[in-house]
Amino acid sequence: MEKESSIPNGTNSNSPLGVGDSNPIKNITYDALVIGAGIAGGEVALNLANTGYKVLLLDKELSVGGKMIMLSKVFPTLDCAACITTPKVSEISRHPNITIFTGSEVSNIKKLSDNEFTAKVTKHPRYVRVEDCTACQLCEKACPVNVRDQYQFGLIGRKAAFIPFSICSPKAAAIDIDNCTLCGACEKVCPTNCIDFTQETEIMNLHVKTVVVATGFDTFDAKKMPRYGYGQYKNVITALQMERELAPTRPFNTILRPGDGKVPDKIAYVLCVGSRDASVGNPICSQICCMYSIKQAQLLMGALPMADVTIYYINIRSFGKGFEEFYQQAKGMGVNFVKGKIGRISEKESGNLILRYEDINEGKLQEAEHDMVILSTGVLPNTGIEKFFESQTLTLDPFNFVGQSDALASPAKTSIEGVFVAGTATGPMDIPDSILSAGAASSEAISYLINQQN
Amino acid sequence: MEVEIGKTAKYLREKLGGIPEQAKKNLKEFNAIKRKMLDALKEEDLTVKQMSEKIDMPTHEVLYYLMSLVKYGFVKTGEVDDMDEYYTYKLNK
Repeated sequence: MEKESSIPNGTNSNSPLGVGDSNPIKNITYDALVIGAGIAGGEVALNLANTGYKVLLLDKELSVGGKMIMLSKVFPTLDCAACITTPKVSEISRHPNITIFTGSEVSNIKKLSDNEFTAKVTKHPRYVRVEDCTACQLCEKACPVNVRDQYQFGLIGRKAAFIPFSICSPKAAAIDIDNCTLCGACEKVCPTNCIDFTQETEIMNLHVKTVVVATGFDTFDAKKMPRYGYGQYKNVITALQMERELAPTRPFNTILRPGDGKVPDKIAYVLCVGSRDASVGNPICSQICCMYSIKQAQLLMGALPMADVTIYYINIRSFGKGFEEFYQQAKGMGVNFVKGKIGRISEKESGNLILRYEDINEGKLQEAEHDMVILSTGVLPNTGIEKFFESQTLTLDPFNFVGQSDALASPAKTSIEGVFVAGTATGPMDIPDSILSAGAASSEAISYLINQQN
Repeated sequence: MEVEIGKTAKYLREKLGGIPEQAKKNLKEFNAIKRKMLDALKEEDLTVKQMSEKIDMPTHEVLYYLMSLVKYGFVKTGEVDDMDEYYTYKLNK
Protein backbone atom coordinates (compact mmCIF):
# COMPACT_ATOMS: atom_id res chain seq x y z
CA MET A 1 0.00 0.00 0.00
CA GLU A 2 1.36 3.42 -0.84
CA LYS A 3 -0.70 6.04 0.96
CA GLU A 4 -0.39 9.80 0.68
CA SER A 5 3.28 10.43 1.37
CA SER A 6 5.10 13.69 1.15
CA ILE A 7 8.34 13.03 3.01
CA PRO A 8 11.21 14.08 0.74
CA ASN A 9 13.22 11.14 -0.52
CA GLY A 10 15.69 9.77 1.99
CA THR A 11 14.45 11.68 5.01
CA ASN A 12 12.09 11.13 7.89
CA SER A 13 10.29 13.44 10.26
CA ASN A 14 12.83 13.02 13.07
CA SER A 15 15.96 13.95 11.23
CA PRO A 16 17.18 17.10 9.52
CA LEU A 17 15.69 17.50 6.07
CA GLY A 18 18.02 16.76 3.18
CA VAL A 19 17.23 19.30 0.47
CA GLY A 20 18.73 20.53 -2.73
CA ASP A 21 19.72 16.98 -3.74
CA SER A 22 18.70 15.72 -7.15
CA ASN A 23 15.09 14.57 -7.15
CA PRO A 24 15.13 11.35 -9.26
CA ILE A 25 12.03 10.45 -11.22
CA LYS A 26 10.35 7.49 -9.54
CA ASN A 27 8.69 4.62 -11.37
CA ILE A 28 5.34 3.55 -9.92
CA THR A 29 3.14 0.67 -11.03
CA TYR A 30 -0.55 -0.01 -10.45
CA ASP A 31 -3.25 -2.04 -12.18
CA ALA A 32 -5.50 0.96 -12.79
CA LEU A 33 -5.31 4.72 -12.93
CA VAL A 34 -8.51 6.58 -12.03
CA ILE A 35 -8.35 10.26 -12.99
CA GLY A 36 -10.63 12.32 -10.75
CA ALA A 37 -11.57 11.47 -7.16
CA GLY A 38 -15.13 12.74 -7.11
CA ILE A 39 -18.07 10.49 -6.35
CA ALA A 40 -17.74 8.64 -9.70
CA GLY A 41 -13.95 8.23 -9.58
CA GLY A 42 -14.13 7.15 -5.95
CA GLU A 43 -16.78 4.52 -6.76
CA VAL A 44 -14.68 3.17 -9.66
CA ALA A 45 -11.61 2.98 -7.42
CA LEU A 46 -13.53 1.16 -4.69
CA ASN A 47 -15.03 -1.39 -7.10
CA LEU A 48 -11.62 -2.12 -8.65
CA ALA A 49 -9.91 -2.26 -5.26
CA ASN A 50 -12.56 -4.58 -3.79
CA THR A 51 -11.88 -6.96 -6.70
CA GLY A 52 -8.22 -7.07 -5.73
CA TYR A 53 -6.72 -4.59 -8.19
CA LYS A 54 -4.22 -1.95 -7.11
CA VAL A 55 -5.54 1.49 -7.97
CA LEU A 56 -3.98 4.92 -8.17
CA LEU A 57 -6.73 7.50 -7.57
CA LEU A 58 -5.58 10.95 -8.56
CA ASP A 59 -7.13 14.39 -8.18
CA LYS A 60 -5.92 17.92 -8.81
CA GLU A 61 -7.71 19.20 -5.68
CA LEU A 62 -6.40 18.92 -2.10
CA SER A 63 -9.21 16.55 -1.09
CA VAL A 64 -11.11 13.64 -2.55
CA GLY A 65 -14.91 13.94 -2.79
CA GLY A 66 -15.22 16.19 -5.83
CA LYS A 67 -18.21 18.52 -6.01
CA MET A 68 -20.57 16.31 -4.04
CA ILE A 69 -18.69 16.70 -0.77
CA MET A 70 -19.32 20.47 -1.02
CA LEU A 71 -23.11 20.17 -1.35
CA SER A 72 -25.67 20.82 1.38
CA LYS A 73 -28.29 18.17 0.72
CA VAL A 74 -29.24 15.95 -2.21
CA PHE A 75 -32.47 15.78 -4.20
CA PRO A 76 -35.13 14.40 -4.05
CA THR A 77 -34.58 12.82 -0.62
CA LEU A 78 -33.04 15.88 1.09
CA ASP A 79 -30.43 13.61 2.66
CA CYS A 80 -27.31 15.33 3.95
CA ALA A 81 -24.71 15.18 1.13
CA ALA A 82 -21.78 15.01 3.53
CA CYS A 83 -23.43 12.12 5.42
CA ILE A 84 -23.49 10.10 2.18
CA THR A 85 -20.08 11.19 0.91
CA THR A 86 -17.92 11.00 4.02
CA PRO A 87 -18.36 7.26 4.76
CA LYS A 88 -17.50 6.53 1.12
CA VAL A 89 -14.52 8.89 1.21
CA SER A 90 -13.40 7.24 4.44
CA GLU A 91 -13.67 3.76 2.84
CA ILE A 92 -11.64 4.96 -0.16
CA SER A 93 -8.98 6.54 2.06
CA ARG A 94 -8.56 3.43 4.22
CA HIS A 95 -8.65 0.83 1.44
CA PRO A 96 -5.34 -1.07 1.25
CA ASN A 97 -5.57 -1.36 -2.55
CA ILE A 98 -6.12 2.34 -3.19
CA THR A 99 -3.35 4.91 -3.29
CA ILE A 100 -4.55 8.52 -3.33
CA PHE A 101 -2.60 11.38 -4.86
CA THR A 102 -4.25 14.74 -4.22
CA GLY A 103 -2.87 18.01 -5.61
CA SER A 104 -1.66 15.97 -8.55
CA GLU A 105 -1.97 15.94 -12.31
CA VAL A 106 -1.49 13.39 -15.03
CA SER A 107 -0.22 13.90 -18.57
CA ASN A 108 1.50 12.13 -21.47
CA ILE A 109 -0.69 9.02 -21.27
CA LYS A 110 0.58 6.55 -23.86
CA LYS A 111 -0.78 3.15 -24.78
CA LEU A 112 2.22 0.89 -25.39
CA SER A 113 0.30 -2.37 -25.82
CA ASP A 114 -3.05 -3.91 -24.91
CA ASN A 115 -2.56 -3.80 -21.16
CA GLU A 116 0.28 -1.37 -20.84
CA PHE A 117 -0.16 2.35 -20.42
CA THR A 118 2.45 4.83 -19.24
CA ALA A 119 1.84 8.33 -17.94
CA LYS A 120 3.60 11.20 -16.27
CA VAL A 121 2.29 12.06 -12.81
CA THR A 122 3.07 15.45 -11.31
CA LYS A 123 2.51 15.74 -7.57
CA HIS A 124 2.55 19.33 -6.38
CA PRO A 125 3.95 20.05 -2.92
CA ARG A 126 1.43 20.55 -0.11
CA TYR A 127 4.24 21.80 2.18
CA VAL A 128 2.75 19.62 4.93
CA ARG A 129 3.69 16.01 5.71
CA VAL A 130 0.16 14.61 5.62
CA GLU A 131 0.96 11.53 7.68
CA ASP A 132 2.18 13.70 10.58
CA CYS A 133 -0.57 16.37 10.50
CA THR A 134 -3.24 16.02 13.18
CA ALA A 135 -5.46 18.77 11.67
CA CYS A 136 -5.24 20.64 14.99
CA GLN A 137 -5.62 23.96 13.08
CA LEU A 138 -2.99 25.72 15.20
CA CYS A 139 -1.19 26.68 11.98
CA GLU A 140 -4.43 28.22 10.70
CA LYS A 141 -4.78 30.29 13.86
CA ALA A 142 -1.16 31.46 13.69
CA CYS A 143 -1.16 32.37 9.99
CA PRO A 144 -1.64 36.13 9.55
CA VAL A 145 -2.74 35.97 5.89
CA ASN A 146 -6.31 36.27 4.59
CA VAL A 147 -7.30 35.24 1.05
CA ARG A 148 -10.62 34.29 -0.55
CA ASP A 149 -11.59 30.72 0.26
CA GLN A 150 -12.06 28.84 -3.01
CA TYR A 151 -13.95 26.06 -1.18
CA GLN A 152 -16.56 28.66 -0.08
CA PHE A 153 -16.66 30.13 -3.61
CA GLY A 154 -15.03 33.35 -2.44
CA LEU A 155 -17.78 34.31 0.03
CA ILE A 156 -15.36 34.37 2.99
CA GLY A 157 -11.63 34.34 3.65
CA ARG A 158 -9.23 31.63 4.72
CA LYS A 159 -5.61 31.56 5.82
CA ALA A 160 -2.57 30.67 3.69
CA ALA A 161 -1.99 27.75 6.08
CA PHE A 162 -5.35 26.04 5.99
CA ILE A 163 -7.43 22.88 6.23
CA PRO A 164 -9.25 22.94 2.86
CA PHE A 165 -12.64 22.28 4.49
CA SER A 166 -13.86 20.54 7.63
CA ILE A 167 -14.70 17.16 6.05
CA CYS A 168 -11.82 17.06 3.58
CA SER A 169 -9.81 13.89 3.05
CA PRO A 170 -6.94 13.65 3.73
CA LYS A 171 -7.80 15.76 6.79
CA ALA A 172 -4.56 17.71 6.82
CA ALA A 173 -3.39 21.26 6.44
CA ALA A 174 -1.92 22.68 3.24
CA ILE A 175 0.06 25.80 2.49
CA ASP A 176 -1.14 28.16 -0.23
CA ILE A 177 2.36 29.01 -1.36
CA ASP A 178 1.22 31.77 -3.76
CA ASN A 179 -0.19 33.78 -0.85
CA CYS A 180 2.18 32.70 1.92
CA THR A 181 4.48 35.35 3.36
CA LEU A 182 6.92 32.66 4.55
CA CYS A 183 6.82 34.16 8.05
CA GLY A 184 7.21 30.74 9.65
CA ALA A 185 4.43 31.35 12.23
CA CYS A 186 2.75 28.08 11.25
CA GLU A 187 5.93 26.10 11.79
CA LYS A 188 6.51 27.62 15.23
CA VAL A 189 3.12 26.45 16.55
CA CYS A 190 2.94 23.07 14.81
CA PRO A 191 3.11 20.41 17.55
CA THR A 192 4.21 17.65 15.17
CA ASN A 193 6.64 19.65 12.99
CA CYS A 194 4.73 18.52 9.92
CA ILE A 195 5.08 21.76 7.97
CA ASP A 196 7.85 21.42 5.45
CA PHE A 197 8.72 24.23 3.03
CA THR A 198 11.49 22.12 1.51
CA GLN A 199 8.97 19.99 -0.35
CA GLU A 200 9.28 20.13 -4.13
CA THR A 201 7.21 18.99 -7.08
CA GLU A 202 7.53 15.25 -7.60
CA ILE A 203 7.47 13.77 -11.09
CA MET A 204 6.70 10.08 -11.44
CA ASN A 205 6.56 7.65 -14.35
CA LEU A 206 3.39 5.64 -13.96
CA HIS A 207 2.78 2.18 -15.46
CA VAL A 208 -0.81 0.87 -15.46
CA LYS A 209 -2.92 -1.66 -17.31
CA THR A 210 -6.11 0.41 -17.65
CA VAL A 211 -7.26 4.01 -17.25
CA VAL A 212 -10.64 5.35 -16.10
CA VAL A 213 -11.46 8.99 -16.80
CA ALA A 214 -13.75 10.47 -14.10
CA THR A 215 -12.87 14.12 -14.44
CA GLY A 216 -16.35 15.41 -13.63
CA PHE A 217 -17.85 18.63 -14.90
CA ASP A 218 -17.41 22.36 -14.85
CA THR A 219 -20.15 24.96 -14.42
CA PHE A 220 -21.00 27.77 -16.80
CA ASP A 221 -19.25 31.07 -16.05
CA ALA A 222 -22.21 33.41 -15.46
CA LYS A 223 -20.02 36.43 -16.28
CA LYS A 224 -20.36 35.36 -19.92
CA MET A 225 -24.00 36.57 -19.76
CA PRO A 226 -23.51 40.19 -18.63
CA ARG A 227 -27.25 40.89 -18.86
CA TYR A 228 -27.68 38.93 -15.60
CA GLY A 229 -25.15 41.12 -13.81
CA TYR A 230 -23.15 38.36 -12.14
CA GLY A 231 -19.88 39.81 -10.84
CA GLN A 232 -21.27 43.33 -11.22
CA TYR A 233 -24.30 43.13 -8.91
CA LYS A 234 -23.18 41.64 -5.61
CA ASN A 235 -26.60 40.20 -4.76
CA VAL A 236 -26.59 38.01 -7.87
CA ILE A 237 -24.89 34.74 -6.95
CA THR A 238 -24.61 31.25 -8.43
CA ALA A 239 -26.42 28.18 -7.15
CA LEU A 240 -23.09 26.68 -6.04
CA GLN A 241 -22.53 29.74 -3.83
CA MET A 242 -26.03 29.30 -2.39
CA GLU A 243 -25.22 25.61 -1.87
CA ARG A 244 -22.42 26.72 0.47
CA GLU A 245 -24.72 29.20 2.25
CA LEU A 246 -27.13 26.33 2.92
CA ALA A 247 -24.49 23.79 4.02
CA PRO A 248 -23.86 23.07 7.73
CA THR A 249 -20.27 24.33 7.20
CA ARG A 250 -21.61 27.57 5.72
CA PRO A 251 -19.58 30.78 5.48
CA PHE A 252 -22.10 33.02 7.29
CA ASN A 253 -24.12 32.58 10.46
CA THR A 254 -27.29 32.41 8.38
CA ILE A 255 -28.43 33.09 4.82
CA LEU A 256 -27.19 36.57 3.93
CA ARG A 257 -26.99 38.42 0.66
CA PRO A 258 -23.32 39.13 -0.13
CA GLY A 259 -23.93 42.75 -1.16
CA ASP A 260 -24.63 44.10 2.32
CA GLY A 261 -25.32 41.27 4.74
CA LYS A 262 -29.12 41.62 4.63
CA VAL A 263 -31.22 38.54 5.40
CA PRO A 264 -33.06 38.18 2.06
CA ASP A 265 -36.84 37.80 2.00
CA LYS A 266 -37.62 37.89 -1.72
CA ILE A 267 -35.38 35.44 -3.52
CA ALA A 268 -35.42 34.57 -7.23
CA TYR A 269 -33.95 31.62 -9.10
CA VAL A 270 -33.14 31.96 -12.80
CA LEU A 271 -32.98 28.56 -14.47
CA CYS A 272 -31.12 27.54 -17.63
CA VAL A 273 -28.26 30.05 -17.22
CA GLY A 274 -25.72 28.86 -19.75
CA SER A 275 -27.64 25.72 -20.70
CA ARG A 276 -30.29 25.09 -23.38
CA ASP A 277 -28.87 28.24 -24.94
CA ALA A 278 -27.07 27.96 -28.28
CA SER A 279 -26.16 31.65 -28.10
CA VAL A 280 -23.61 30.84 -25.38
CA GLY A 281 -22.45 27.64 -27.05
CA ASN A 282 -24.30 25.17 -24.84
CA PRO A 283 -27.58 24.03 -26.41
CA ILE A 284 -28.06 20.98 -24.17
CA CYS A 285 -30.04 20.59 -20.95
CA SER A 286 -27.91 20.26 -17.83
CA GLN A 287 -30.39 17.79 -16.31
CA ILE A 288 -29.71 18.77 -12.68
CA CYS A 289 -30.50 22.50 -12.50
CA CYS A 290 -34.30 22.21 -12.15
CA MET A 291 -34.01 19.78 -9.28
CA TYR A 292 -31.15 21.40 -7.39
CA SER A 293 -32.97 24.75 -7.64
CA ILE A 294 -36.17 23.17 -6.29
CA LYS A 295 -34.11 21.54 -3.54
CA GLN A 296 -32.49 24.85 -2.58
CA ALA A 297 -35.86 26.62 -2.66
CA GLN A 298 -37.22 24.11 -0.15
CA LEU A 299 -34.14 24.45 2.06
CA LEU A 300 -34.41 28.24 1.91
CA MET A 301 -38.02 28.11 3.00
CA GLY A 302 -36.91 26.02 5.94
CA ALA A 303 -34.07 28.38 6.84
CA LEU A 304 -36.05 31.58 6.24
CA PRO A 305 -39.72 30.73 6.89
CA MET A 306 -40.92 34.25 6.03
CA ALA A 307 -39.09 34.41 2.67
CA ASP A 308 -40.77 34.36 -0.74
CA VAL A 309 -38.95 32.17 -3.23
CA THR A 310 -39.72 32.40 -6.96
CA ILE A 311 -38.31 30.12 -9.64
CA TYR A 312 -38.26 31.50 -13.20
CA TYR A 313 -38.15 28.59 -15.62
CA ILE A 314 -38.59 27.65 -19.26
CA ASN A 315 -39.67 24.07 -18.53
CA ILE A 316 -39.41 22.06 -15.33
CA ARG A 317 -37.81 18.75 -16.24
CA SER A 318 -38.69 16.47 -13.34
CA PHE A 319 -37.90 13.24 -15.17
CA GLY A 320 -36.25 11.06 -12.49
CA LYS A 321 -37.53 8.82 -9.74
CA GLY A 322 -39.33 10.93 -7.16
CA PHE A 323 -38.59 14.18 -9.03
CA GLU A 324 -42.18 15.12 -9.95
CA GLU A 325 -43.30 14.51 -6.35
CA PHE A 326 -40.41 16.68 -5.17
CA TYR A 327 -41.53 19.45 -7.55
CA GLN A 328 -45.11 19.20 -6.29
CA GLN A 329 -43.84 19.25 -2.70
CA ALA A 330 -42.06 22.56 -3.40
CA LYS A 331 -45.27 24.01 -4.86
CA GLY A 332 -47.14 22.82 -1.78
CA MET A 333 -44.60 24.57 0.46
CA GLY A 334 -45.32 27.83 -1.34
CA VAL A 335 -42.47 28.13 -3.82
CA ASN A 336 -43.71 30.36 -6.65
CA PHE A 337 -43.06 28.97 -10.15
CA VAL A 338 -43.15 31.47 -13.03
CA LYS A 339 -42.83 30.26 -16.60
CA GLY A 340 -40.75 33.10 -17.87
CA LYS A 341 -37.53 33.86 -19.69
CA ILE A 342 -35.39 36.52 -18.03
CA GLY A 343 -34.22 39.16 -20.47
CA ARG A 344 -32.27 41.43 -18.16
CA ILE A 345 -31.48 42.08 -14.53
CA SER A 346 -30.79 45.60 -13.26
CA GLU A 347 -29.85 46.85 -9.81
CA LYS A 348 -31.53 49.49 -7.65
CA GLU A 349 -29.61 51.75 -5.27
CA SER A 350 -30.82 49.59 -2.37
CA GLY A 351 -29.07 46.57 -3.88
CA ASN A 352 -32.44 45.04 -4.83
CA LEU A 353 -32.71 43.61 -8.32
CA ILE A 354 -35.28 44.19 -11.03
CA LEU A 355 -35.92 41.17 -13.23
CA ARG A 356 -37.38 41.96 -16.63
CA TYR A 357 -38.90 38.85 -18.13
CA GLU A 358 -41.22 37.43 -20.71
CA ASP A 359 -44.20 35.88 -18.94
CA ILE A 360 -44.72 32.92 -21.26
CA ASN A 361 -48.21 32.01 -19.99
CA GLU A 362 -49.49 35.61 -20.14
CA GLY A 363 -47.56 36.42 -23.32
CA LYS A 364 -46.30 39.78 -22.09
CA LEU A 365 -43.26 41.51 -20.61
CA GLN A 366 -43.20 41.82 -16.84
CA GLU A 367 -40.92 43.21 -14.16
CA ALA A 368 -40.41 41.91 -10.64
CA GLU A 369 -38.26 43.10 -7.74
CA HIS A 370 -36.20 40.68 -5.63
CA ASP A 371 -33.53 41.29 -3.06
CA MET A 372 -31.36 38.36 -4.09
CA VAL A 373 -31.02 36.39 -7.34
CA ILE A 374 -29.53 32.93 -7.73
CA LEU A 375 -28.38 31.85 -11.18
CA SER A 376 -28.79 28.13 -11.79
CA THR A 377 -25.74 27.75 -13.97
CA GLY A 378 -25.47 24.89 -16.42
CA VAL A 379 -23.14 21.92 -16.59
CA LEU A 380 -20.17 22.13 -18.95
CA PRO A 381 -17.40 19.65 -19.76
CA ASN A 382 -14.08 19.86 -17.98
CA THR A 383 -12.01 20.69 -21.02
CA GLY A 384 -8.53 19.47 -21.91
CA ILE A 385 -8.73 15.80 -20.89
CA GLU A 386 -8.06 14.70 -24.48
CA LYS A 387 -4.69 16.49 -24.34
CA PHE A 388 -3.51 14.07 -21.63
CA PHE A 389 -3.44 11.26 -24.18
CA GLU A 390 -0.51 11.03 -26.57
CA SER A 391 -0.33 7.85 -28.64
CA GLN A 392 -4.04 7.55 -29.43
CA THR A 393 -6.85 10.07 -29.66
CA LEU A 394 -9.48 10.26 -26.93
CA THR A 395 -12.49 11.30 -28.98
CA LEU A 396 -14.90 13.89 -27.57
CA ASP A 397 -18.61 14.21 -28.32
CA PRO A 398 -20.04 17.28 -30.13
CA PHE A 399 -20.35 19.09 -26.78
CA ASN A 400 -16.76 18.30 -25.70
CA PHE A 401 -17.67 15.68 -23.12
CA VAL A 402 -15.68 12.42 -23.36
CA GLY A 403 -17.12 10.48 -26.31
CA GLN A 404 -18.65 7.05 -25.73
CA SER A 405 -17.65 4.66 -28.53
CA ASP A 406 -20.89 2.72 -28.06
CA ALA A 407 -23.22 4.97 -26.05
CA LEU A 408 -26.14 2.51 -26.04
CA ALA A 409 -24.52 -0.89 -25.53
CA SER A 410 -21.28 -0.03 -23.67
CA PRO A 411 -21.55 3.52 -22.39
CA ALA A 412 -18.31 3.34 -20.40
CA LYS A 413 -16.09 2.56 -23.41
CA THR A 414 -14.13 5.35 -25.08
CA SER A 415 -12.34 5.59 -28.41
CA ILE A 416 -9.24 4.01 -26.83
CA GLU A 417 -9.51 0.33 -25.87
CA GLY A 418 -8.60 0.01 -22.22
CA VAL A 419 -9.61 3.60 -21.38
CA PHE A 420 -13.04 3.93 -19.77
CA VAL A 421 -15.16 6.89 -18.71
CA ALA A 422 -17.37 7.40 -15.65
CA GLY A 423 -19.81 9.98 -14.32
CA THR A 424 -20.28 13.50 -15.61
CA ALA A 425 -17.13 13.33 -17.74
CA THR A 426 -19.54 11.78 -20.32
CA GLY A 427 -22.26 14.43 -19.96
CA PRO A 428 -24.62 16.00 -17.43
CA MET A 429 -26.16 13.58 -14.92
CA ASP A 430 -27.22 13.50 -11.27
CA ILE A 431 -25.49 11.73 -8.38
CA PRO A 432 -27.24 8.31 -8.59
CA ASP A 433 -26.62 8.18 -12.35
CA SER A 434 -22.95 9.11 -11.79
CA ILE A 435 -22.60 6.22 -9.37
CA LEU A 436 -24.37 3.87 -11.81
CA SER A 437 -22.05 5.06 -14.57
CA ALA A 438 -19.06 4.44 -12.28
CA GLY A 439 -20.35 0.90 -11.69
CA ALA A 440 -20.48 0.34 -15.45
CA ALA A 441 -16.98 1.76 -15.97
CA SER A 442 -15.47 -0.35 -13.22
CA SER A 443 -17.17 -3.50 -14.58
CA GLU A 444 -15.78 -2.76 -18.05
CA ALA A 445 -12.32 -2.10 -16.60
CA ILE A 446 -12.37 -5.33 -14.56
CA SER A 447 -13.53 -7.29 -17.60
CA TYR A 448 -10.72 -5.72 -19.66
CA LEU A 449 -8.10 -6.57 -17.01
CA ILE A 450 -9.30 -10.19 -16.79
CA ASN A 451 -9.36 -10.60 -20.57
CA GLN A 452 -5.83 -9.25 -20.85
CA GLN A 453 -4.62 -11.69 -18.18
CA ASN A 454 -6.05 -14.68 -20.09
CA MET B 1 22.29 20.97 2.43
CA GLU B 2 20.53 20.29 5.75
CA VAL B 3 17.58 22.33 6.99
CA GLU B 4 16.42 22.31 10.60
CA ILE B 5 12.92 21.00 11.14
CA GLY B 6 10.59 23.80 12.22
CA LYS B 7 12.63 26.44 10.38
CA THR B 8 12.00 25.47 6.78
CA ALA B 9 10.19 28.73 5.91
CA LYS B 10 13.55 30.46 6.29
CA TYR B 11 15.03 27.98 3.82
CA LEU B 12 12.39 28.77 1.17
CA ARG B 13 12.60 32.52 1.87
CA GLU B 14 16.33 32.42 1.22
CA LYS B 15 15.91 30.18 -1.81
CA LEU B 16 13.36 32.60 -3.35
CA GLY B 17 15.40 35.64 -2.33
CA GLY B 18 12.72 37.11 -0.05
CA ILE B 19 8.96 37.23 0.40
CA PRO B 20 6.76 37.38 -2.73
CA GLU B 21 5.75 41.05 -3.22
CA GLN B 22 2.05 40.34 -3.83
CA ALA B 23 1.74 38.26 -0.66
CA LYS B 24 3.41 41.04 1.32
CA LYS B 25 1.03 43.64 -0.16
CA ASN B 26 -2.06 41.50 0.55
CA LEU B 27 -1.04 40.98 4.16
CA LYS B 28 -0.43 44.69 4.69
CA GLU B 29 -3.85 45.50 3.22
CA PHE B 30 -5.64 42.90 5.35
CA ASN B 31 -3.91 44.06 8.53
CA ALA B 32 -4.95 47.67 7.85
CA ILE B 33 -8.59 46.68 7.22
CA LYS B 34 -8.64 44.41 10.28
CA ARG B 35 -7.30 47.22 12.47
CA LYS B 36 -9.87 49.71 11.11
CA MET B 37 -12.76 47.30 11.68
CA LEU B 38 -11.70 46.27 15.18
CA ASP B 39 -11.16 49.93 16.15
CA ALA B 40 -14.63 50.81 14.84
CA LEU B 41 -16.19 47.95 16.84
CA LYS B 42 -14.43 49.10 20.00
CA GLU B 43 -16.70 52.15 19.95
CA GLU B 44 -20.00 50.40 19.24
CA ASP B 45 -21.65 47.33 17.72
CA LEU B 46 -22.27 47.86 14.00
CA THR B 47 -24.21 46.45 11.07
CA VAL B 48 -22.48 45.97 7.72
CA LYS B 49 -24.02 49.20 6.42
CA GLN B 50 -22.95 51.18 9.48
CA MET B 51 -19.42 49.78 9.24
CA SER B 52 -19.36 50.67 5.56
CA GLU B 53 -20.15 54.30 6.36
CA LYS B 54 -17.75 54.41 9.27
CA ILE B 55 -14.66 53.10 7.47
CA ASP B 56 -15.64 54.20 3.95
CA MET B 57 -15.63 50.78 2.31
CA PRO B 58 -18.22 49.21 -0.03
CA THR B 59 -20.74 47.04 1.83
CA HIS B 60 -19.86 43.84 -0.06
CA GLU B 61 -16.21 44.18 0.96
CA VAL B 62 -17.20 44.93 4.54
CA LEU B 63 -19.27 41.73 4.65
CA TYR B 64 -16.40 39.67 3.27
CA TYR B 65 -13.84 40.99 5.77
CA LEU B 66 -16.25 41.07 8.71
CA MET B 67 -17.27 37.45 8.13
CA SER B 68 -13.62 36.47 7.85
CA LEU B 69 -12.98 38.16 11.21
CA VAL B 70 -15.94 36.26 12.68
CA LYS B 71 -14.39 33.02 11.38
CA TYR B 72 -11.02 33.89 12.91
CA GLY B 73 -12.61 34.66 16.29
CA PHE B 74 -12.01 38.44 16.45
CA VAL B 75 -15.67 39.39 15.95
CA LYS B 76 -18.96 37.74 16.85
CA THR B 77 -22.48 38.07 15.53
CA GLY B 78 -24.88 40.12 17.64
CA GLU B 79 -28.62 40.69 17.46
CA VAL B 80 -30.74 41.10 14.36
CA ASP B 81 -32.71 44.35 13.98
CA ASP B 82 -36.48 44.70 14.54
CA MET B 83 -37.16 44.09 10.84
CA ASP B 84 -35.15 40.82 10.93
CA GLU B 85 -32.95 42.21 8.17
CA TYR B 86 -29.51 43.23 9.43
CA TYR B 87 -27.36 41.68 12.12
CA THR B 88 -25.03 43.73 14.28
CA TYR B 89 -21.47 42.59 14.83
CA LYS B 90 -19.40 43.07 17.95
CA LEU B 91 -15.92 42.43 19.28
CA ASN B 92 -15.35 38.94 20.61
CA LYS B 93 -13.82 39.98 23.90
